[in-house]
Amino acid sequence: MTWLELARAHADFLIPALLIAGAALCVVAPNGRTAWGVALLAALSAAVLSCDLARRGLFASDLAPAADGIAIYVAPILAICTLLILFAAGALALRESDKKLRPLEFALLLTHSGGWLGALFAHDFVSLFLAVETAWLAGAGLVAFVAGRERAALNGAFRMLIAGAVMAGLMLIGIGLVGRGLGVLDIVALANVPVATPNLVALGIGCIILALALKAGAAPLHLWTGAAFTRSAGGAALALGAVGAVGAIGVLLRVAASAQAAPAISAAIAAGLAALGAASVIIGSLQAIGAKSLMRLGAYAIAAQAGCALIGAALGSTAGFAAALLQLTAMAAAALALFGAAAALSAAPTLNALDGLGRRAPLAGAAITIGALSLMGAPLTIGFLSRWRLMEAAVHGGWQWASAAAVLTSLAGVFYGGQLIVRIYFRRASAPTQLAGGLTHWMLAPALAAAMIVILWGINPALLLVMSEQGALWRPGQFP
Amino acid sequence: MSAEAWLIVALAAPVAQAAFVMSLARPPGLRDVVHIGFALLMAAASIALVSAVSAGEGARVALVEPLPGVALAFTIEPLSALIGCAVACLGALSAIHTAGYVRATEERAPARLMATIALSTAAAMAAIYSANLLTLFVCTQALMLATFPLVAHGGGAEARRAASTHLATLLIASMGLLLPAIVWAYVSASAVDFQVGGVLAGRLDPLGANILLAMFVLGLAMAATPPLHRWLIASSAAPFPALMTIQALAVVPVGGIGVLKVTLYVFGDALPDAAIAARVLLVIAGVGMCYAAVIALSKQDIRERLAYAAMAQSLAVVMGALVALPAGAFAAALQIAALACGSATMLMAAGAAYAVTDRLEARDLHGLGRVMPWTMAGFALGAASIIGMPPFAGAWAKLWLITAAADAGLPWAAALVGLASVLMFASLGPLAANTLVGPAPHDPFKRRDGASALLTGPIVLSAAATLWLLILANPIAWFLAPILGRTP
Repeated sequence: MTWLELARAHADFLIPALLIAGAALCVVAPNGRTAWGVALLAALSAAVLSCDLARRGLFASDLAPAADGIAIYVAPILAICTLLILFAAGALALRESDKKLRPLEFALLLTHSGGWLGALFAHDFVSLFLAVETAWLAGAGLVAFVAGRERAALNGAFRMLIAGAVMAGLMLIGIGLVGRGLGVLDIVALANVPVATPNLVALGIGCIILALALKAGAAPLHLWTGAAFTRSAGGAALALGAVGAVGAIGVLLRVAASAQAAPAISAAIAAGLAALGAASVIIGSLQAIGAKSLMRLGAYAIAAQAGCALIGAALGSTAGFAAALLQLTAMAAAALALFGAAAALSAAPTLNALDGLGRRAPLAGAAITIGALSLMGAPLTIGFLSRWRLMEAAVHGGWQWASAAAVLTSLAGVFYGGQLIVRIYFRRASAPTQLAGGLTHWMLAPALAAAMIVILWGINPALLLVMSEQGALWRPGQFP
Repeated sequence: MSAEAWLIVALAAPVAQAAFVMSLARPPGLRDVVHIGFALLMAAASIALVSAVSAGEGARVALVEPLPGVALAFTIEPLSALIGCAVACLGALSAIHTAGYVRATEERAPARLMATIALSTAAAMAAIYSANLLTLFVCTQALMLATFPLVAHGGGAEARRAASTHLATLLIASMGLLLPAIVWAYVSASAVDFQVGGVLAGRLDPLGANILLAMFVLGLAMAATPPLHRWLIASSAAPFPALMTIQALAVVPVGGIGVLKVTLYVFGDALPDAAIAARVLLVIAGVGMCYAAVIALSKQDIRERLAYAAMAQSLAVVMGALVALPAGAFAAALQIAALACGSATMLMAAGAAYAVTDRLEARDLHGLGRVMPWTMAGFALGAASIIGMPPFAGAWAKLWLITAAADAGLPWAAALVGLASVLMFASLGPLAANTLVGPAPHDPFKRRDGASALLTGPIVLSAAATLWLLILANPIAWFLAPILGRTP
């Protein structure tokens, strides 16, 4: 067996390990540029490995040990997002007044992503807990990173730590209850081991799901998102939105799929997911409509999108999970487009700063517009595809209200997404906002890449549809 | 050229028109030639498509497949060929008129206005030739977005507010009602292609069929079915060329053909299952027609009065589509063409009057026919067609609609159509008469040379078209026979 074959065979371990090792190397790197290079190399390796794993797992049914369809589907999204965010983070740091790259920032980014990928590939609940907490603490560190010049960033980080600590406790209690009820802590065991005390196990799974929902920023558990997204640096908001939220929902989908496969607790889990999803859609949508800054609007819109993914999982069917996976892709792309463009403009642009952006910064304006269109569920975008699939799955499953929730998300998207588009193209700037020069196009790389993906996969989604269906088909509890 | 090639030309010409108009904005002469040239090309392509359909040819163009088994596709069949031809030919006249209008008013951003009109026309043509529900949905969304800058063209807070109302109403209806209805139809029938006889027959229980029909008709808010008609009134602050696009050539006709395609090609034989919803919608549309005619009477701003008139005409299309007999569908198809001709004529005439006299109030148009005889004669003929006075096109459509309603055992629906025509006469008849016979105004023109040939020529031709439809009614019935099952 060659080294390459060995790496491919253990890709589920190697992908997070590469990122964590890359983070360690960044910390000891002699200067910022070397650290950036190391971080990019680690992220690129992880992205290549995860894409190869997805190709083998979703198309050739050659699943690596312990890797399920959801993990295999979500891993490339996280790895590619990490690569793009690192690229933009380096360009952003070079724009700053001191033009100094900060190795610790790259290390935290890699650890954040590595943590969520580790949780995706975790066998058991304890590993999952450790990986999630690693990612969460790294995320809080990223938010606090700019505390030197923006003291309010500490407020965001503090909120993350407090909320995360409470939910870590809840998750531990949940894991304890599951262990007590099942006798094992294997995630996939939920589907295979007879459940003697269904109420206890359901309560435990409910606690774990709640903790993960908070970390995904799903409403009403998203008390930390406003401060964290608004006060942090651009790269941190990108990481929290495109990696953190997507990773948390991906992990949540794994746990939910496993629990849904256990007949004794599936109904209770479905009800809980449905309630949480509906609440997230309604609260997130309403808050996004009233948001005054692009970062807050994006954070709340992501909460609404996360609600749609939860509703897809609540359906429990393959079509429902496929819709949820598509929703995750749409979430990641929208987060990259909105937060990427926002980061390139300034740390936390108000909505007024977007007035006339289409003339002043056409590429940034186009990226935000495409992200907004996807959030609205406009045709020929991934957002439309995911919304359509969710409604289709809901109607098939007889859950008409779930279809209505998807419609509500789109309707709210018309208001807050439409507001962005109107400001960008149909208003003149009252006071011209100073735009960053020099590296703007490089900093926009993730936003533009995401915008292109939104359109290309919206127009020709055959590959994405096959991947999501395979991923849902091979979800935990379903594959042998 | 093959029918496919003509279909591609009809769809691509307005897109190219927008691109070339923007890139050749100066000199104005070249810009206008490009604008008119591409509009004429689109009209020629649509006429060729009518010829191809008469010869029994078919054409289908598929672009991409955004959903499994559902392509973004366009096709020609008698209904789309007929309406496409009417819209494209009037579009050519409108393009000439727009060139005259922007010169006469010294429009601030003429190239942007023309390009947006072209993009709206492109979306409208795509919706008219759509082969399935998904394509219709995508094209209507594109049309909404394209018409937003038309409504906001004037600039300022009021125009932006009007544009927001316009877009929000249409988008909310389409996202909230039309999209779920399409998904429901797709899940029920596993197909969303437009087929003669429909795709839903035997696939829905009566309750589902009733709810679905209501969702479709209200979701297609472009047809201005109350209570989702506010967008049409809000958009009346737009410049006249934009109003022509919205009320006569793009948005309202697309709403009409959308409803007609849904009843003919999606419900088809399943429409009787949705009889309750159809009756309720008929009441809403009939009462809405009367309401629009009454409100029009109270409006002095000519743009608002014509917006309500367009709403009443559009609701006549909805009524025809819901009556569901061959005569009703035929009346609806004829009404779309009549509405396009009548509204375009009146708007072009009112636009020409505004361009050279700055008059927007209905009372200020009195006697203008003595100094602008061609323009105001066109206005009067357009009004006569909208009212439904014989022998103009509108009369035939209304006659067929009343006959269809009576045949279907719905005398009250026929009475509502008749009442709406009487009210519309009260709203537009005296106005049209006064423009011709009132005393000539003193010093009416803000420009010494009055209305140019670019402004008056299209009005005369468009007014004449309302008479041509009289001659064409029988051939149109034969032309539409394949989709109606028999000649009405």
